[in-house]
Amino acid sequence: MASCDLSLRIGPLELRNPLLSASGTYGHGLEMEFFTAPTELGGWVSKTVTLRPRGGNASPRICETEAGLLNSIGLENRGLEHYLAHTLPVMARADTVVVTNIGGESVEDFVEMARRLDGESATDAFEVNLSCPNVQGGKLPFATSPALAAEVIRAVRAVTHKPLFAKLSPNTAQLGEIARAVEGAGADAITAVNTLLGLALDWRTRRPGLATVQGGYSGPGIKPVALRCAWECARSVAIPVIGCGGIQSASDALEYLVAGCAAVQIGTASFSDPAVPGRIAREMGALLSAAGIARVGDIVGTLHDGRETLQGARSR
Amino acid sequence: MPAPPPDARSLTAEVVSVEPCGEDGVVLTVRPEVELPTVRASRFFMLRRTDRLSPLIPRPFSLYRQRGAELEFLLKVMGRGTRALAESRPGDELRLIGPLGNGWPALEGGGAPWVMLGGGVGSAPFYLGIQQALAGMDGKRPARREELAYLYGAARRGLLYDLERFRALGVPVHTATDDGSEGFKGNVLGLLETLWSANKLPREVRLLACGPHPMLVAVERLARAKKLECWLSLETLMGCGVGICNGCPVATRPEGPMGAWPNAKCCVEGPVFAVGAVTLEQPGEQHGSPRHAPAACVPEAPHEPERGRAGN
Repeated sequence: MASCDLSLRIGPLELRNPLLSASGTYGHGLEMEFFTAPTELGGWVSKTVTLRPRGGNASPRICETEAGLLNSIGLENRGLEHYLAHTLPVMARADTVVVTNIGGESVEDFVEMARRLDGESATDAFEVNLSCPNVQGGKLPFATSPALAAEVIRAVRAVTHKPLFAKLSPNTAQLGEIARAVEGAGADAITAVNTLLGLALDWRTRRPGLATVQGGYSGPGIKPVALRCAWECARSVAIPVIGCGGIQSASDALEYLVAGCAAVQIGTASFSDPAVPGRIAREMGALLSAAGIARVGDIVGTLHDGRETLQGARSR
Repeated sequence: MPAPPPDARSLTAEVVSVEPCGEDGVVLTVRPEVELPTVRASRFFMLRRTDRLSPLIPRPFSLYRQRGAELEFLLKVMGRGTRALAESRPGDELRLIGPLGNGWPALEGGGAPWVMLGGGVGSAPFYLGIQQALAGMDGKRPARREELAYLYGAARRGLLYDLERFRALGVPVHTATDDGSEGFKGNVLGLLETLWSANKLPREVRLLACGPHPMLVAVERLARAKKLECWLSLETLMGCGVGICNGCPVATRPEGPMGAWPNAKCCVEGPVFAVGAVTLEQPGEQHGSPRHAPAACVPEAPHEPERGRAGN
């Protein structure tokens, strides 16, 4: 039995397999290499880096729910200077695609970060976090408006040649429109999706599970919602879509590929077991080989949904 | 950035036994797929069942005892996570991430006595602590039995887990219960004061503490007021145990050795912290009001902390 070729391309990037770590769930650097080595993954996505350091939100920041996890970390990170001085030099020796996830409160923040990072050879691409639900102080994320999302991507596109992934939010009724808007503004790929807004409380104490009351819901409970979002993005645009949401197994990951995603990200599953991403990579290869599929791209966008082709699948 | 310890691994483990302990606890004995070298006392493991989606997030537990290839954990059954583990049967498979965290400092003999303050299930990291202090840690001078004292408190007798096993270690064990059903009537800090007053302990001691949040706040306050060396083994909610989720912040003291950043990660920078490096109190906090105990996380709530929450 020939083994399946798992490699793929996203724009100019060559990935050894379609599995990336999701931002904020696989450390700030190489802390996880004893659990899943970077060489086992197609790419590593940093925790969101912001221009200035952020101390994060008050505790409690996490609250488990049935089949999922609510979080409101608040983008705790030591800021761009620290990332440049401490994280990127470490990631430079990682044999995988390095994606720096950038976050900001204004278009200017994003532009400044992209400009500063553009000359850094250790970062291969940017993921533009348009969708964190926990930091706007009541403001809506950029990814809830086609115009705002496009404005950020267009501005970042103007200052860097590196590939841009636009990370979108499921908390909108305009997802397809937003996907087309960021594609039109110059995004090279779409990451779909960030966490769903959620809330947990205790009726006895009348108190919420998170200090910020609401937060981002992730884990296996969101998979059907996130899978639909990824599918909607894939049918809306020609650029590759990277699916994200509730993936626990190689089968889950393959569902995203069939729905039209070129690649996927593993998030909350790494909290259950940080060795999961590597295990999924190995299992995906075994499953596809056993199914007699020669190249992973052969199953991308093959959902029998009544349409002949998916644009996102066809572009590769 | 702080990284998980290099000896931490993701392992499967087979349940050997689940034995009742006290009113609401169990001792869970597991055999990991590989035999682990000696694990330092007050390091911990993340545990979860692998046969169901929920609970999704593993729970942190101090290693209670280590015997050959077997690891024992002392669990107080409080919510979904501990209940699922306590309902395990011999032969079941668990996921074990660890060993994690830093553990107690070297408890060497020859200095001021080490006074260990345990509250309820916060007793777990002291059994190995006493064993390892007596055997000598990090090549330093072993502690003699009279250089150690274990002060163990809980709400009532049935919540003093495995008391006889601690007594069998041969170090002085003093007990306190809120209702007076065992030992001193009151909490471990009241007990400490009475031992000081009766000259049964020197004024100069080194403190180790693990227990419920209000107890640790009081221990921190006492240690600072009396300028005593003091180490706290903390419990927070943890989403991963390996430093990646940022869900377990502990406030650092700005003037302390970790003060360059407002939060330490309990899992990879602790769970043992020196008083002076972190603080459990927030400005303006009411005495005894829990900061880290999340509001919704009472028993039967979604994701409760499960180590060291019992007792006074």
